[in-house]
Amino acid sequence: MRAPLLAAVALVLATPAVVGAQAGDANAGKAVYQLKCIGCHGEKGDGKGPAAELLMPKPRDFTTGIYKIRTTANKVPSDQDLFRIITDGMPGTSMPSWAVLSDRDRWNLVAYIKAFAADKFKEAPKKLDLPKEVSSSAESIKRGKEMFEAIECNKCHGTEGRADGPSRAELKDEWGHPIPPANLTKRWTFRGGPTRTEIATRLAAGVLGTPMPTFIDSVEKPEDIWHLTNFILSLRPESPGYATLVTVTAMSDAIPDDPNAEFWKKLTPNNIPLMGQVIQDPRNFNPSIDLVSVRAVYNDKEIAFHLTWDDPTQSAEDAGKKLYADGISLQFPPQPSSGPERPYFLMGDSSDAVYLLRWENGKGVTEATGNGPTKIAAIPGAEATGKAVYANGQYRLIMKRPLVSKSEARPTFTPAVFMPVAFQAWDGGAGEGGTKMSLTSWYYLRLEEPQSSHRFVIPPVVAILTLAVMLLVVRIANRRA
Amino acid sequence: MRKVIGTLLAIALVTGVALVANRPGPAGAQGGGTIEATVTYAGAPVVEKLKVNKDTEKCGTEAVIEKVVVGGNKGLANAVVSVPGAKGGAPKTVKTVVDQHGCKFVPHVSAMTPGEMDLKNSDDILHNIHTYSTANPSINKAQPKFKKVMAEKFEKPEFIKLTCDVHSWMLGWVAVMPNPFFGVTDASGNAKIENVPPGKYAVEAWHETLGKQSKEVEVKAGQATKVAIEMKK
Repeated sequence: MRAPLLAAVALVLATPAVVGAQAGDANAGKAVYQLKCIGCHGEKGDGKGPAAELLMPKPRDFTTGIYKIRTTANKVPSDQDLFRIITDGMPGTSMPSWAVLSDRDRWNLVAYIKAFAADKFKEAPKKLDLPKEVSSSAESIKRGKEMFEAIECNKCHGTEGRADGPSRAELKDEWGHPIPPANLTKRWTFRGGPTRTEIATRLAAGVLGTPMPTFIDSVEKPEDIWHLTNFILSLRPESPGYATLVTVTAMSDAIPDDPNAEFWKKLTPNNIPLMGQVIQDPRNFNPSIDLVSVRAVYNDKEIAFHLTWDDPTQSAEDAGKKLYADGISLQFPPQPSSGPERPYFLMGDSSDAVYLLRWENGKGVTEATGNGPTKIAAIPGAEATGKAVYANGQYRLIMKRPLVSKSEARPTFTPAVFMPVAFQAWDGGAGEGGTKMSLTSWYYLRLEEPQSSHRFVIPPVVAILTLAVMLLVVRIANRRA
Repeated sequence: MRKVIGTLLAIALVTGVALVANRPGPAGAQGGGTIEATVTYAGAPVVEKLKVNKDTEKCGTEAVIEKVVVGGNKGLANAVVSVPGAKGGAPKTVKTVVDQHGCKFVPHVSAMTPGEMDLKNSDDILHNIHTYSTANPSINKAQPKFKKVMAEKFEKPEFIKLTCDVHSWMLGWVAVMPNPFFGVTDASGNAKIENVPPGKYAVEAWHETLGKQSKEVEVKAGQATKVAIEMKK
């Protein structure tokens, strides 16, 4: 009787200790590591696993004990820091979330990866004390912007934070690999997380092993860390709010030709995520362009697409320097089909062609028929026009064409009909061209039905008529009585 | 304008050199001797050039990275000459000051005893001090234009590489030496180490790209000992 009771007590006492355990077992961690981590981080933990070659940024080299994301004031990350990254992964990199593993397994992994640089972990992690938090306000954001300029964040991150600073091309990490600065307008790609505290911590403690220095002693006043954080948070929402359907707004006036016109800013952008093309060689494992914001309108004559996307380098084709042109294209089926059949999303194939409305830096807007990414033929008799502007790491482009087409190669856009659409983009400065592109699979586009003034007339007329009928019924009923 | 920059540069250089050169304490207080070292290199100078795409007002339009500087009579500049084995003499700390001026570390190579050093930014633009070291914790600290001086501590003997990520061509070295018996060679390859306690030592010369060479010498009280060290690739 006593023994089971004791065992039960022991179990009760032991359980919380197991759950909260921070001291993992390195040997048990090794078993998990060899199953899950070895492909990228390598058997020796040096970040040279078989997949490393294709990855950008490169997998962590655990043997150096250098970790980017710390909440500590010294170079040693806390166990919790390592556990957090294993659990949540690193946005914008190949490191996924390993929340599928049990807590126990993840703590064991922490113990094992620390063992690769045991001497570095002899020093105890020192907690970083952030200055007293300053909540966001118009003044705080203003001060943050002033500090952003005073400490010259633009040198790497660009004037408007789009990772297009003049030092961009020179940046290298501790291992000599090129490393791009963060695009501050895309918080969801921040390696260490998008929240206030995480951003303030990165500013204060820097990102170890990268060119990002510590700023805790390099701002005018400690609380400037928070003003800077508030400014960065003000650049864009935390999440891109991806669209599932591209809505084309109806309008009766002429469509503005200037991509910078106020008109476009008032329209809600449809944000579309892009992925690297990894089906056909040469593939693009590390695409530069990951998002395009689409605003589209039409009137009785034309349809116009306003596209905004970030590209840190403006580049045109230069055969001598082996440079490619920046470009983007919209893809549609040449004729809308009634069923669910659509051409192959990767720019069509030999049996089903796609219609491409494209823009290339230096060439402007063109139309083409695609029978696959390497079989693209220009459509004679240009009907499309457009204009692009580039500033501070961002393109804004308008492409326009007639709503109706008589040619077989071009689609006609009809209100209220769901039209398949796909996107492709090239950052020539990053060596993208041909099949090395970012793309989407098929999305749908829908032209809003034109809103006429009928909606202001018909309901009141119906209401008045109904009232009249009711009065009539009442009167007849009264008479009968 | 050029003259002003030139003058400023000269002043910065003199200050830097003076801090190193003025190191000796009261002459002969301990009955020490002097080592007059000449470091030579028979090879060609190595100078890399880079087009500058930013801060050209401060940095100029072309960055010159002087990796191996050879003067008259094959004298090798920027080599650290030291006597690692020397012990005794008056305990003394030697501090150094490195200025970031014209998007260069001035002086390119300096030496100090373990302790603090000052990093100046007289460029009025952002630099970041990014050091590469193993014995000392490496640092990566932003030094914006309003941060004119930062003090840094290096406690362990080591040759520390200084870089700046904003201006990737910037390169400098700070030698943290175990004792105060050292010097950095001038444009002709000469360095003078004073007040060395008498004895037989290996004199060591270190250069950032050419590595280390050493030579045995005997230092006698009150006398100057000449030593010639040739660096090889």
